[in-house]
Amino acid sequence: MTSAAGLSRRHFLRNTGLAGLGVLGSSSFLAACATSVSSGPVKQAAGAVTVQSNLSSPQAKVAIEALAKAFGDKGGAQATVNTVASETFRTQLPSYLTAANPPDSYTWYPGSLLSGYARKGLLLDVGDVWQTMGNYSQAFRTLSGDGAGHQVFVPTTYYWWGFFYRKSNFAKWGVQPPKSWSEFLTLCETLKGKGIAPIGLGAGGTTPWTASAWFDYLNIRINGAPFHRQLLAGQQRFDDPKVKRIFDPWRQALPYFDPNGTALAFQDATTVLLQGRTGMVLTGTFFADAAPKDALDDLDFFQFPILDPSVPTAEEGPTDGFFASARTPHVAEVKEWFKYVATAESQELYIKNSSGTVLPANPAAKDSGTPLVQKGRKMLADAKELTQFFNRDSSDALQPTADAALIRFIQKPNELDSILADWQTAAQKVWLS
Amino acid sequence: MAVLNAPAVRRRRAMRRVPPVLLLFVLVPVVVEGFWVFWPALQGFYLSLTNWDGVSAPSFVGLGNYAEMLSDDIFGTAALNTVIWIVLFGGISAAGGLGLALLLNRERRGVGFYRAALFTPVVFSLVATSLIWQVIYQPDGVVNKLLAAVGLGSWQHSWLADPQTALYAVLIPALWRQLGYVMVLYLAGLKGIDPALYEAAKLDGATSVQQFRHITWPQLRSVNSVVLSVIIIDSLRSFDVVWSMTKGGPYHSSELLSTYMYATAFQSLRLGYASALAVVIFVLAFGVIVTYLVRAFREDQ
Repeated sequence: MTSAAGLSRRHFLRNTGLAGLGVLGSSSFLAACATSVSSGPVKQAAGAVTVQSNLSSPQAKVAIEALAKAFGDKGGAQATVNTVASETFRTQLPSYLTAANPPDSYTWYPGSLLSGYARKGLLLDVGDVWQTMGNYSQAFRTLSGDGAGHQVFVPTTYYWWGFFYRKSNFAKWGVQPPKSWSEFLTLCETLKGKGIAPIGLGAGGTTPWTASAWFDYLNIRINGAPFHRQLLAGQQRFDDPKVKRIFDPWRQALPYFDPNGTALAFQDATTVLLQGRTGMVLTGTFFADAAPKDALDDLDFFQFPILDPSVPTAEEGPTDGFFASARTPHVAEVKEWFKYVATAESQELYIKNSSGTVLPANPAAKDSGTPLVQKGRKMLADAKELTQFFNRDSSDALQPTADAALIRFIQKPNELDSILADWQTAAQKVWLS
Repeated sequence: MAVLNAPAVRRRRAMRRVPPVLLLFVLVPVVVEGFWVFWPALQGFYLSLTNWDGVSAPSFVGLGNYAEMLSDDIFGTAALNTVIWIVLFGGISAAGGLGLALLLNRERRGVGFYRAALFTPVVFSLVATSLIWQVIYQPDGVVNKLLAAVGLGSWQHSWLADPQTALYAVLIPALWRQLGYVMVLYLAGLKGIDPALYEAAKLDGATSVQQFRHITWPQLRSVNSVVLSVIIIDSLRSFDVVWSMTKGGPYHSSELLSTYMYATAFQSLRLGYASALAVVIFVLAFGVIVTYLVRAFREDQ
């Protein structure tokens, strides 16, 4: 029995090792080994933790696979990554979690959806993993709780949002990043005068959700983060006068939006920005995954301008990490895996293999160290409050209601009253169900 | 009497003794069909009477979901769009497919190439097709460039982002694909018509219009019922092309019943209401098809 197990372990290691080589080397080699890893040895290595991953962009996929390999190389439990397209992942998540024999652990983000699953008892309590994570900030601890005193999430990375632009283009146009809302509008006016669409958007095609960044930022700048969270949790109404107010500055900025903003998907909006046909885009650092490496050094960002100095500054700092199914048969192995991904060492490994624009959640871990990342890290560190993003602070179910409302506002700003009324009706249906 | 009775009794006994293999051939498919088709369908109907988020236990609400549809504006838009879709998608692909089939039925040099070219779109996945068309429709895509080139620059549009045009812009790739399919169905029908009929008609001095009215059209009757069923079913299940191009947006302007059902189920996680929508789609498809087919085949007899 022991010899058989030993054999299979060795067999497994050999295959994962080969697969690792394959990732680095030729693609035909990769194909041959990848199949041998997923079909043969998984069954034999009964203790392997399955990691259901929605990180399907090439760099992120390589990074998480490198993480699993390094974890396996330590000689304890093993982890196998199963990458699924993120749309499939999202729609299948309820079935995964309610299945009798679910995948063990999942990439995901904290937020109301997570606490919803936690309340239904579907998520593994990882409180003892958190006891080994003493250096994590209180903010991450709170974020990873289910609201009832249990820790159900292990954060690994986070990132920031801002107005991204090309330094070379700003220099060419002779403009500076603005420090206030009025400077921002002046900047837009100047760029428009030069025949450039000042603000790119990328809310076309299948990525209308990018428009929510504007809603989030205007709301946290004018009404503050606590109101924003209450609104997204269904404790405030979208047709509230306070919500209506945030569309006034948005209306001031609307003439400067790229007229194709609702026609181009965000990947295309990235290209247009890099080509210098739009001046700047309010986006998260993930857009850099699609940017060519040589353009990365030319990128810079500025903070969303402060609109009301009396409101404590909040920034969007969406966090990513892992949670596990309560029904996993590999509780000990899953916790070993979580302890590993919470270490500084593993987060540095992940950042090194990815595009390098994310920040590690472990305060002891080094980020990629570029000036851009330093600046982003400082902005989040200086913020009084962090928010996640519309769908994370509310739910994926509420996101389509925001998409319909905000795209309509951008195209028909004069219909604001009926837009907000419709939004409230649509949101109510989601909250009541 | 006895003489008459004897064979009847024997026949009845023979009928009762069905060979076990035959029984197996009937029962196995019935069980499989029942388990994989009828049981889920019944469950779907049951779910339409509940509110269910996919995780907790469903809660029974009776006909509440159906009542909600009556006051649901988005359902209204989606239903109206579906009717527009059936009329345009169905009408154009049927008429166009028949036209192309008549055009390409005659053996001429190179006709095989045209048939193949028109049929090619059918073999592509609709998702791949829509990705290509998405690029074509982009603000600086082929359509807008062509319009500018022929001096119609003022007609340029963000085709997929404008609620006035989104539905029609999505309809075109779907038609582009369906035309070839319907054409092949009609071509097969045309090939089955006895040439002697046309010869006789020509001898009688019939014009080509008369030939079409009195020979081709009546002879195509059975193909027509196939085409009609295919078109209605295809229109009601059109989903991939809309979903991958606009997701039913901007603000539900290109929403079909099928996309609304999917969005309700898997984005809003309101599986009860989505099941009710699915039941509506099913009733529409089944109702139309069955009434039509029953009538069509009764007339044939």
